Amino acid sequence: MSLINEKVEEIDAVVQSVPEVKPDAPYVSGGLSFNLPDKPVVTIETHKSWVPLNLRDLWAYRELLYFLMWRDIKVRYKQTVLGAAWAVIQPLTTMLIFTYFFGKLAKVPTDGVPYPVFVYTALLLWTFFSNGVTSAANSLIGNSNLITKVYFPRLIIPSAAVGAGLVDFAIASVLLVGLLVYYGFSVTWEYLMILPLVVLTTLFALGVGIWFSAVNVRFRDVRYALPFLIQVWFFVSPIIYPSSLVPAEWRWVLHLNPLAGLIEFFRAALFGRELPWVALVYAAGLTVIVLAYASYTFRRMERSFAEFI
Amino acid sequence: MKPIIKVEGISKKFRINPREPSSVHYETLRESLGKLVRAPFTRNRKNGQRDDTVWALKDVNFDVFPGEVMGIIGSNGAGKSTLLKVLSRIIEPTSGRVELYGRVASLLEVGTGFHPDLSGRENVYLNGAILGMRRREIDERFDEIVAFAEVERFIDTAVKHYSSGMYLRLAFAVAAHLDPEILIVDEVLAVGDATFQKKCLGKMDDVTRSGRTVLLVTHGLAMVTQLCRRAILFDGGRIVKMGPSLEVVTYYDATCNPSKGTI
Repeated sequence: MSLINEKVEEIDAVVQSVPEVKPDAPYVSGGLSFNLPDKPVVTIETHKSWVPLNLRDLWAYRELLYFLMWRDIKVRYKQTVLGAAWAVIQPLTTMLIFTYFFGKLAKVPTDGVPYPVFVYTALLLWTFFSNGVTSAANSLIGNSNLITKVYFPRLIIPSAAVGAGLVDFAIASVLLVGLLVYYGFSVTWEYLMILPLVVLTTLFALGVGIWFSAVNVRFRDVRYALPFLIQVWFFVSPIIYPSSLVPAEWRWVLHLNPLAGLIEFFRAALFGRELPWVALVYAAGLTVIVLAYASYTFRRMERSFAEFI
Repeated sequence: MKPIIKVEGISKKFRINPREPSSVHYETLRESLGKLVRAPFTRNRKNGQRDDTVWALKDVNFDVFPGEVMGIIGSNGAGKSTLLKVLSRIIEPTSGRVELYGRVASLLEVGTGFHPDLSGRENVYLNGAILGMRRREIDERFDEIVAFAEVERFIDTAVKHYSSGMYLRLAFAVAAHLDPEILIVDEVLAVGDATFQKKCLGKMDDVTRSGRTVLLVTHGLAMVTQLCRRAILFDGGRIVKMGPSLEVVTYYDATCNPSKGTI
């Protein structure tokens, strides 16, 4: 043992004698020259309790977020004939079917708005939300090869999955504009509110999505539970019906779901109705809570992703 | 002189679940709840904890100095890959501390994140970003990467149509053009045919001469003596021997390596 130690010391001596530098001088060897920082660039330790959100790290990897979003978008419609048209075909078909059954046959009241544009508005937001949550929830498992081989802030993966959905949302919005023009709605200043609304919906989808993505790594039950949950969520949100259809004394239950407020606000902004600010503020508050709780859960579980995935 | 990598008392414990084959890593919620219910009754088993836990690394200490190329050898299951995963921040150590005084890039496999449906060009950018390169850096090195991989004619073809050799060459080429201060490499150099392997080794030699700090895990003992000044021999999660690479390799060869290293 002592022999080895001697050898190690000997080697250390050799190493020390090779670059002719004083401890604080920059190391110059080959083409590389840099100062060893005083503080470590990275410290690896066991985290006993929860890890704070490392925003600086997330910022440093923002290009990866962009590249993963770009990959998801690029790959989604590869080797399809219709390509990005699928982003319109799905909500359009759903809209036509709903218009026939709920608009024509069941005559669901819509507060005076033509049923096609009434339901398409909500479908647009809903499709973005549900696709975002579903793809985020499966994103970590789908990228397990990255998780077991490379370090980067894992939050990037579900975030990219939600972000990629924005492109589909934008494409499908073209049809909404067409419908609005066709039914003679005019542009008002309230259209400006659509941007913060989309941001809020994105953040809410992100919160729900990252929570499910983290839980999905440990509990594959998510794969079966989530589609069911999404289906229930669809019917408890005022998509095919207006919230005014629900008895006034029960409307607050409907509004526990922040998506209800978001959809109503979206409709009000587009159709020139009075904007339901309370619903928006409630949705914003709940989004913050959901996002905070989800990132807490994510960060806590993140450390063992590579071992469980 | 100050080390650029400082590893202090790193240990890693893995729990192996005896009821499941090790390939099934996940548990269902029901099982977890079941465990929770049974928890009060399983306390006795804690004495026999050694049975379902494994120390992949046990109290590992070493320093690596700037510009040094350190070889890490040992038989399968000795803890080499776990060490690299801890240093690459993919898994968290059970105890201990590592300080890294430089930007790290780790290469545990070539072509991580390659997507079969994307073209060679697209994959270079995607893979580069995954390995921590900036877009500008990839722009600058793009032609060099493509030339190194010898796939100029096919750069806009989807990589699923590549031959396996072309695929590996492109994947290695991206990795070879990383520019971190610390490079952590697992057995990834043995790709492609003999000619390309020689090219890879040459590139590796350039990298080590450029003053970068490299940690190299390999079974190719000849490569260790050729590229590394020092080497560490692992066995059973512990450091068995550390010293000049030739000495460590000879020791390993004599004691516990029945087959000769290839390459």
